[in-house]
Amino acid sequence: MSTSPSSMPPKKEDLVVTRIIDASVELAWKAWTDPEHVMRWWGPKYYASPSCKIDLREGGKFLFCMRAPQDQGGQDMYNTGVYLRIVPMQRLEFTMSLSDKEGNVIDPAAIGMPAEFPKEVRMVIEFKSIRDDMTELTVTEYDWPVSPMFVYALAGMQQSIDKLAVSLK
Amino acid sequence: MARPTSTLDPFAAVAEPRRRRVLETLAGKELPVNDLVGLLGWNQPVVSKHLGVLREVGLVSVRHDGRQRLYSLQGEQLKPIHDWVTNFEQFWGERLDVMNDYLRDMQKREEKKSPK
Repeated sequence: MSTSPSSMPPKKEDLVVTRIIDASVELAWKAWTDPEHVMRWWGPKYYASPSCKIDLREGGKFLFCMRAPQDQGGQDMYNTGVYLRIVPMQRLEFTMSLSDKEGNVIDPAAIGMPAEFPKEVRMVIEFKSIRDDMTELTVTEYDWPVSPMFVYALAGMQQSIDKLAVSLK
Repeated sequence: MARPTSTLDPFAAVAEPRRRRVLETLAGKELPVNDLVGLLGWNQPVVSKHLGVLREVGLVSVRHDGRQRLYSLQGEQLKPIHDWVTNFEQFWGERLDVMNDYLRDMQKREEKKSPK
């Protein structure tokens, strides 16, 4: 039985998004692992991504391209990463970073992101077949420094304080 | 994931559970150190140490009121962290919605090809 960190339950500091997908687990898996399919959804709504390269093996790399809409500048943004663990129809684990079009990792600060943004994140996609035409998909980003709930709670408190301060002026 | 331990990094500051307790205790209030010591139940040097780090990253500010020094929460420094969280959820939420629309169509086409 594997004792790698990826088999531990998510901590409250991990960011998790879950969706029910109206398709079989085979199609959901293809969506993430077949470049022809990835290109259909890796981009802003209504835009296919212009290119996608996948070397689907543990230690293999991927390079995804996303093109901003014309009215937002139309520039290409690249993400690269390495597949860490592949369990077909169940689990896809990889690192992900921003990169240039050759797949060289770039520092988020170089494109204007705050210093706190991690240069590389570890992600896990989990696939759970519910029915022949239904799959539960979970996207997890690991090792986040602080719980999102804590951040929301403090931000909420601070916003109410600020609003109160403005209304009292 | 090891992060550089710069004291000028809000992420590093709030990664420490005790500092999160200080922030939670301060939120919405303005308190002198002694009140914080009473509320947190730690000794004063420990409270002061954590307040010092939080002041350094701009999460806590001080106001002098007569002879008292009153500490309060400054939430603006949490904004990058807050934005990171909301951006993640927005980004992946949108990706998965687009993916779902695409896969739903593919599923329907496959079912038409081989009806059960």
